Amino acid sequence: MNLLASARSLRRGVVALATFMGLAAGWNYVACALFITVDVVGRAFFGVSSAATVEVTGYMLAIGIAWGLAHTLAKRAHIRVDVLVNRLPVGLRAWLHLAALALLGVFAGFCAWAAWSLVDESMLFDAHDNTSLRIPLVIPQGLWLVGILAFCLMVAVLLLEALLSLLAGQGAELDRLLGSRTLEDETAEALEAVEMARRGETA
Amino acid sequence: MIAIVFLLLLLGGAIFAAATGGQAVPVFEIAALIGAFLVFFGTGVYVAAVLGLLGMLVGLVFSDRPWWAFAGQTLWSPSSNFVLVAVPLFLLMGEILLRAGLSDRLYKALNVWLNRLPGGLLHTNIVSCAVFSAISGSSVATAATMGSVALPYFTDTKYSQRMVLGSLAAGGALGNLIPPGITFIIYGLITETSVGALYIAAIFPSLLVTGLFIAVIMIHGLTHKMEKPPALPLSVKLRALGGLVPTLLLMILVLGSIYGGYATPTEAAALGVVGSAVFAAIEGKLSLKLLHASAEATARNTALLGLIIFGAYLLNYLLTVINVPQALAGFIGGLPLPGWAVMLCILGLYIALGTFMEGFSMIITTVPVVFPIVTALGYDPIWFGVVVTMLVEIAQISPPDGTVMYVLQGMRPKAGPITDVFAGVMPFLGVYMLAVLLLMLFPGIATWLPKIMG
Repeated sequence: MNLLASARSLRRGVVALATFMGLAAGWNYVACALFITVDVVGRAFFGVSSAATVEVTGYMLAIGIAWGLAHTLAKRAHIRVDVLVNRLPVGLRAWLHLAALALLGVFAGFCAWAAWSLVDESMLFDAHDNTSLRIPLVIPQGLWLVGILAFCLMVAVLLLEALLSLLAGQGAELDRLLGSRTLEDETAEALEAVEMARRGETA
Repeated sequence: MIAIVFLLLLLGGAIFAAATGGQAVPVFEIAALIGAFLVFFGTGVYVAAVLGLLGMLVGLVFSDRPWWAFAGQTLWSPSSNFVLVAVPLFLLMGEILLRAGLSDRLYKALNVWLNRLPGGLLHTNIVSCAVFSAISGSSVATAATMGSVALPYFTDTKYSQRMVLGSLAAGGALGNLIPPGITFIIYGLITETSVGALYIAAIFPSLLVTGLFIAVIMIHGLTHKMEKPPALPLSVKLRALGGLVPTLLLMILVLGSIYGGYATPTEAAALGVVGSAVFAAIEGKLSLKLLHASAEATARNTALLGLIIFGAYLLNYLLTVINVPQALAGFIGGLPLPGWAVMLCILGLYIALGTFMEGFSMIITTVPVVFPIVTALGYDPIWFGVVVTMLVEIAQISPPDGTVMYVLQGMRPKAGPITDVFAGVMPFLGVYMLAVLLLMLFPGIATWLPKIMG
């Protein structure tokens, strides 16, 4: 039981990290929009351009995707086909959640390994991109790798907690932790956003 | 269930065709692969992991080359692609607009002009959704935004609840078809077709579907006569047009810059983000909290797409290594079936998949395999992109799954069974499918304009 409690606080710690990384990824897209806008306006009216927008925003996207992965998992938003799973009894469902998470871990591990080998290769050949900035590819690819590694970490701590709570006989707990977002969750989110627009009106 | 069997037959046939090109047929391996696929999807494994692990299995079983050496590059190139940058930007724009409350004035303005037609306010639902779609790339966002504005207008009226909900859901299903839609970006990325050309091709089909929706409401309005509201003087009507201005400006900014050739879709999306933030500021709604919530939702939705893209590209890379898409295209091309029959099968497959699979995962999973078949049959890639997008939209409003309908159900002021939404959406679903058939019979609806505009 004590073990489970520490696994739980470990997970909370990693979730906090993932939330921070996810928000960073989100604001990174805001920055991306501003960057491209400045570039378009500059090109149209002043004849100046960074000449590296295409590459740099591409890197920002790759990093944004990678850094958002763990947060998305923590929010249970990665897509699964769960038509069948949700009809099964909780006991069985808990095991399937665990299996799905373990398989996701294998895939995430492979992605991390592939990303690492790419970074390694870029380091070996000292690869730079073709823009005027001559950015060493290790920088964006390295940050990309960091995101994927955080995703692996998230999978690992969730797996640990899930396994321990399953052994402690808390299948329902695990279902809450891992069950994918339902349509009700999606709907609730859209309604909340609409509510924000409404509130602004009356304020 | 039919859908899964259908897909398995396709996959099995593909690998079979690829294998018979060589010496012996590795029946055991094929059976194992199909079994793995069934188990993965049946047990709720993450879609991305299913695709990726399937790719790794294919590589281990069928390829004797060191395929893993290219895995890093296979994952890196699509995720750092400039075309794909448009996705988070359009998502961000939609999230900001959703929270900015522009839609209220849009609805009021259109209402003044449309409420005396047979069917009255129902037309406003469709047209305001259509206009809003032109500035937002998401169906759920469109339905949620317009639903929140429109539903209060219908309380204590004689309008059929079913038609009200049905028309809003149908309007939401225009979100991705009317440019700029995110589905087109994903399709363009996978098939290397021009997103700009897809946006141009989608113009007439969008008008067609919108027109058909209006016809449905006209017929409903004529068969269920209601009192017309009093006519308003022209000056009031003209003044109401002011409410359309912000939306129209955003539309000109985003679509104008794409169609005019001033900006790529990605650049237009960036302009759209800044533009919608400016309008949110004018409405007095722009705040750190709004941006924070929008950024978080964008990061999440982009990451879930990105992970599926990882898996799909890995699988697709390995299928290409062992020649599956080419073999499949050759195999189907050699069948004693006319092209349109194969195409009908493909359309059937998408509709079947759509009943339980979410739109984006559907496109990313199937298009890499289906696309070579379609082009081998001589169909236009741009045309197919439009048709696939329509099928995804149909999936969004086909009961019993479909986020759009549940969003609306959650917003109803007066409670009622979800079957009201299902029943209401049926006539619209019917004409949507009719539009797909029309596109099959007259492909020019989609292909003519891109040809003219070069």
